[in-house]
Amino acid sequence: MRHESVPIYWRNIPHYYRLVARRCKKCGAVYFPPVVRCRCGSRELENVELPHEGRLIEYTVLHQVGTDFLKQKPLIIGLVELSNGVRVTGQIVDAQPDKLTPGTKMEVVFRRVIVDGRHGLVMYGYKFRPVGGI
Amino acid sequence: MKDVFIAGAALYQAGRHYGKNIDDMAAEVLDKALTDAKADIDALFVASSTTELANKQQLLGAYILESLGLDKIPVYRVENGDGSGGAAVALAYHALRSEEHNCVAVVGVDKPNDVLSNQQQDIYATTLDTYFERYFGFTPLSYAALMAKMYLKKYEYKYEDLARWAVLMHSHGVGNPYAYFRRQVKLEDAVNSELVSEPLRLYDVGPLADGAAAVVLCNDKKEGPRILSIATSTNAMAFSSRPEYDVLYSLNEAARRAFEKAKITPRDIATAEVHDSFSIFGVLAVESLGLVKRGGALAAIKDGDLPVNLSGGFKSRGNILGATGVYQIVEVAWQLTGREFKRVDGNYGVVHSMGGVDKISTVVVVGI
Amino acid sequence: MSRVGIVSWGAYIPKYRIRTEEVARIWGDDPIRIVDVYLVDEKSVEGFDEDAVTIAVEAARRAIRRAGIDPRRIGAVYAGTESKPYAVKPISSILVDALGLSNNVFAVDMEFACKAGSEGLVAAIGLVESGRVEYGMTVGTDTSQGEPGEHLEYSASSGGAALIVGKDGIVAELEAMYSFVSDTPDFWRREGSPYPMHGEGFTGEPAYFRHIVGAARGLMEKYGYKPSDFTYVVFHQPNGRFPVRAASMLNIPIEKVKPGIVVTHIGNTYNASALMGFAKVLDAARPGDKILLVPFGSGAGSNAFVFTVTDLITERQKAGVPTVEEMLRDKIYVDYAQYLKMRKMIKLFE
Ligand SMILES: [Zn+2]
Repeated sequence: MRHESVPIYWRNIPHYYRLVARRCKKCGAVYFPPVVRCRCGSRELENVELPHEGRLIEYTVLHQVGTDFLKQKPLIIGLVELSNGVRVTGQIVDAQPDKLTPGTKMEVVFRRVIVDGRHGLVMYGYKFRPVGGI
Repeated sequence: MKDVFIAGAALYQAGRHYGKNIDDMAAEVLDKALTDAKADIDALFVASSTTELANKQQLLGAYILESLGLDKIPVYRVENGDGSGGAAVALAYHALRSEEHNCVAVVGVDKPNDVLSNQQQDIYATTLDTYFERYFGFTPLSYAALMAKMYLKKYEYKYEDLARWAVLMHSHGVGNPYAYFRRQVKLEDAVNSELVSEPLRLYDVGPLADGAAAVVLCNDKKEGPRILSIATSTNAMAFSSRPEYDVLYSLNEAARRAFEKAKITPRDIATAEVHDSFSIFGVLAVESLGLVKRGGALAAIKDGDLPVNLSGGFKSRGNILGATGVYQIVEVAWQLTGREFKRVDGNYGVVHSMGGVDKISTVVVVGI
Repeated sequence: MSRVGIVSWGAYIPKYRIRTEEVARIWGDDPIRIVDVYLVDEKSVEGFDEDAVTIAVEAARRAIRRAGIDPRRIGAVYAGTESKPYAVKPISSILVDALGLSNNVFAVDMEFACKAGSEGLVAAIGLVESGRVEYGMTVGTDTSQGEPGEHLEYSASSGGAALIVGKDGIVAELEAMYSFVSDTPDFWRREGSPYPMHGEGFTGEPAYFRHIVGAARGLMEKYGYKPSDFTYVVFHQPNGRFPVRAASMLNIPIEKVKPGIVVTHIGNTYNASALMGFAKVLDAARPGDKILLVPFGSGAGSNAFVFTVTDLITERQKAGVPTVEEMLRDKIYVDYAQYLKMRKMIKLFE
């Protein structure tokens, strides 16, 4: 949406840039998006960076997009299971959709996500792409 | 505790109402419902998903009442995304059961066509996690597509099987005078429609429509359709961490509680209105409600009719966002009593109103 | 002075390529003549969601991964570029958070046309050698601009290369460095102007050759090197012809220059040009090899560096980081229309 909030972007930079998740100190459960309280009841969670490799579970090619993504369509939207078992949804780039398949090895890349017009902020974040190219 | 009766109702034709402001549209339908009920209300619940974002109006309830010149009535605006309607009915129901109020109205209204289609996508996407899902360009459609892809693979259906949902909805919608698209469609039209998020095509998407619906609920009646039970449940798992993608967790739990409270089973249901903003959600809803077994909905449709979404569902009636839940209650009540719709053969109907991608579901059991 | 040198390197080339003949087709040029003049067969193109920042992050992440060091031990980070997405707002601070560096880090973006990334190397060397920081990093990154239809378009491309400097775990020890700078206006881009201007042939003799040869010759004379001392020689590569001619002017055999040539396959990545060639050489170097590295920036200036490869190189080459050679092969061809979209050169409502 036009004029994205700068404070919202800024405070989420650790998550957007480095996939910082929350891990329960008691039971080890990892949450991404981060949470305040673990399902085991513990409120003691610590920051942990997620691995940058994983495998594709499923994907779709989205043609109807919001205003920020009009010039990027179609978007490939994927569900990826990282090497530690944590699953993350993300855009998939540098890929030909018809060659993607569940199980394809994926890596995390750093990309532009939203560009707020000609004068606003350029906002970055994680996306995925197939390893080794397809 | 006193029973809650549906004392009056009114629907607004779903469509593109460029000539109406949102408060006036809601006021017109509320006025009709009050006339229909021949009752005065002592509270108003306003269900809307996007009025602040699409129509730039806060305190919508106050302006609806201003349009009708109704002073001194308490009003509450309820937002649970596209499941706002069911949530507002639930709150109204509890207010009557507790006897805090005796007669209340619920008006559901949304006017998505006040903004452009891509802005509608922006707004609809705020039902997702705005920081981790909307930010990256995801929309409810993209998640529905992922779930559809996994469902079709798991149960070995072809896309054509899923496309039958839209055909069924349109065949039902012909019987709904308030439907947005009141016409039959052919399977090939659905199968050949534009790919919007594969495997989903245009016919898998309920078109966003402007609309308003109002229902008057009273606890001092003796006859007419009644709300037998209501239950709401939330799925607190992120989309990425769901154990399974072919079930609606929020609905599963809400349905279990609602049927238990109403002391009936899914077998007793003569008509159901489910939240099929995308065809796959309708399929999953039918299964998660317990009307057919898991993985069996598309086989059931292939074999014959299902008494689900006699309104035409989101595809034919239209997706009126937060107002839809109110439409659905009225539709089921009227289907049970044979008003405006063909009367169904049975005494019980059920409504499923859902916010977001399986985030919050409300299930309402209606009986006569 | 204590030993200082390159501890790790990382490079990144976007996957997309456009062939010279595809660009020539649009402008009615003879592709055979263009390839013959520049020796550029194809060039790299950044994806629509890539820019000098994302390219720098990828190259730097690979350098850190190869080094296997805690990024919080890096005390200085420099970005050298002439493709800043912002006129005012640093790339280097984005690197700090994207790479997980500490907040106690010297950081700045440098500009000296294509030489800025190597000037970051000089700065990092100074801070590490003096003991003020443990590790320093420089990244040369560009999504180089070339006006459509103008000859720069055949070469201006996108890529990044990062180097980590330290005293511990050196793979290429610094032996000497030397600079050569003068006010030579061969190529420039004014504030707010989307594409650079250049002096055609003037970019050659008085600019590229005078400064590259000046720095290399100055270094050899001051520190007593002769061409036969070097196993590899890497120059800035605006096209395929210039580095070869510079070598012959310095009596350096062409075989020593060829392994570091990447421009033929990806074009001129500006601040990553010489550093990408250097990374490619490091991917293959053996212990004891001596490398002469001479980047060049218009405006104009050159830095010359001599490094000696250490025994550690063999281990670092096996870090599981994509080699430059692998990236040269990993490509998706685009046509001119896709190229314009990816380079954000279509006029859009924004
Ligand atoms: Zn826990």
